[in-house]
Amino acid sequence: MISRYVDLDVRPILRAGGEPFAAIMEAIGRLAPDEGLRLFANFKPTPLFAVLGARGFGNEAIEMGGGDWQVLFYPTGEADAYAPVDSNSDWPAPVRNVDGRDLDPPEPMVNILAAIEAMPTGEVLAALLGREPVFLFPELAKRGHAWRGGFDADGTTYRLLIRIGGKDAKP
Amino acid sequence: MAGVSLSRWTMSYFAAALVALLAAETMMVLGFGFPSAPVEAPATLVLVHVVALGWLSLLLCGALFQFVPVLVARPLHDNHLPFATLCCLLAGLVLLLCGFLQLDGTLEGDWPLLPAAGSLLALGFVLVLYNLGRTLWAGRPLPLPARFFVAGLCGVAAAASLGLIFAFVLTGLATAPPLADLAASGLPLHIVAGVGGWLTLSAMGVSYRLLAMFILAPEDRRWTSIAALWGGIGVLLLAVGGGAGAVLLNADPTPVFVAAALLAVPVLAAYGHDVIRLYAKRKRRKLETNSLMAAPALISLALAAALLLALLALGQMPRFAGAVLYLLAFGWLSGLGLSQLYKIVAFVTWLECYGPLLGRAPTPRVQDLVVESRARKWFYLYFGAVWFGTVALLAEQALVFRGLALLLLLATAGLVVEFVRTRRLADVAIGPQGQDVPHRPRLLCALVAQP
Repeated sequence: MISRYVDLDVRPILRAGGEPFAAIMEAIGRLAPDEGLRLFANFKPTPLFAVLGARGFGNEAIEMGGGDWQVLFYPTGEADAYAPVDSNSDWPAPVRNVDGRDLDPPEPMVNILAAIEAMPTGEVLAALLGREPVFLFPELAKRGHAWRGGFDADGTTYRLLIRIGGKDAKP
Repeated sequence: MAGVSLSRWTMSYFAAALVALLAAETMMVLGFGFPSAPVEAPATLVLVHVVALGWLSLLLCGALFQFVPVLVARPLHDNHLPFATLCCLLAGLVLLLCGFLQLDGTLEGDWPLLPAAGSLLALGFVLVLYNLGRTLWAGRPLPLPARFFVAGLCGVAAAASLGLIFAFVLTGLATAPPLADLAASGLPLHIVAGVGGWLTLSAMGVSYRLLAMFILAPEDRRWTSIAALWGGIGVLLLAVGGGAGAVLLNADPTPVFVAAALLAVPVLAAYGHDVIRLYAKRKRRKLETNSLMAAPALISLALAAALLLALLALGQMPRFAGAVLYLLAFGWLSGLGLSQLYKIVAFVTWLECYGPLLGRAPTPRVQDLVVESRARKWFYLYFGAVWFGTVALLAEQALVFRGLALLLLLATAGLVVEFVRTRRLADVAIGPQGQDVPHRPRLLCALVAQP
């Protein structure tokens, strides 16, 4: 049974153009076993469902009007043992941001790859993009980096997080 | 979020397509086929199919094998199959051309070339449908441009089926009355399904995404875009489905075609409205050659629609159908194809060669692989030759048309040289650091790690 829900409103972070993922994971990490999280966001945070689902959280999303959403995350006790390590671990807050929304392809990819080459293992970069960067993913995989991403509910901004991997396979 | 790798065989499709385009233009210069020969002459059939299958269909297939995965953010279902597909399509095309030459006795022998050709081409298109269909299926729900591709693929299925029926009836292998009726009066259906359904609907889908992507225009889903999609499907269903129904009932299909042409007007208006809006709302003020040269292609589509309506109103349509088809095939479809090839070849080559080096070594920009000022001159010559060529067809001046076809051939050859130079990295300045690439690109296929 859930004894109580901890509230977290990430709308101010999103409105400021920030990346709320770290704050959410931090709040999830502080929950007691019988607690849930009540998240407020200005879009339906679909990518989060899979990430938290793998950590054993079910969800119930309710549209509040005006584009705002309230999502209840509650422990189901069924954490997926086969989920990739990356989705079970908390990522640190991003130390670098790249805004590629007003750049034509392939400039966002060029900027992101240039930025992550200068970052040490374990750090996280956040990027805002106009499209899903389908050609970037194979390059990230080859270089041993991990990533998470998804579109906002209105489908115009793709939020991408990249964590620098340790097994960087330089040619 | 698996990402998309480069399509291995797309460059082979592009190369085969460009060879076919140069061959078709050479035929026009030499007076082989329409307008020097009658519309129904086997030489004209050869010319038309070199353009529609050899050039436009191979170009579109090669582009879709790369573009559909990008659109639905899923890998291509099978990245090896396109090579076998290309072999089927090319072998089918060669047999088809030989089969046409057999019809007027240029080639002797009584082998069933046309049915063999039809079967190989049908097999090739089935492989295209299977590979792209599986990729699209995995990528549901589909974005709007991908829905145009689904409609286009239905168009190619209809066009290929009708072609197969023609081949079997013409060689006496099929004698059932409904098939014979379709073969006797179904040519407009075959043309509408191929040029209108397969080529035009797919080209509209490509333009919605590629234009928006490269001129930084918002891709909001508007009712006009949805109207263009469903209206386009409606035109196709009416012309091909309704036309086939009329033929099978031994009725005159002309009213159905006129109704489809009238329905096409608001559809093209909705599409034109969207395209103009994309250009007007773009964030990138200075246009690159690919986006700039898409404009005369789009204008050609509008001109062809206006010409079609004018000819219908004047009762001159069958007589000047060749001029409308020429403007559609060379102004709209080929013009758009060449302008987008100019960017796609550079982009794909850049990604293949420099993707692994990004962030680790100095790399050129995509723009550094091309010389825009040189290519633009060829594009101006190309569109000038197409438009004046259409006027020559309307004036029924076959000799003037051949002279303009020579200019067209020259412009196309100039652009092909540019594409090869891009692929060869011939125009990339070698910087002080050497800017060496891990491997030089192959002209005809991409070296990609297969998942």
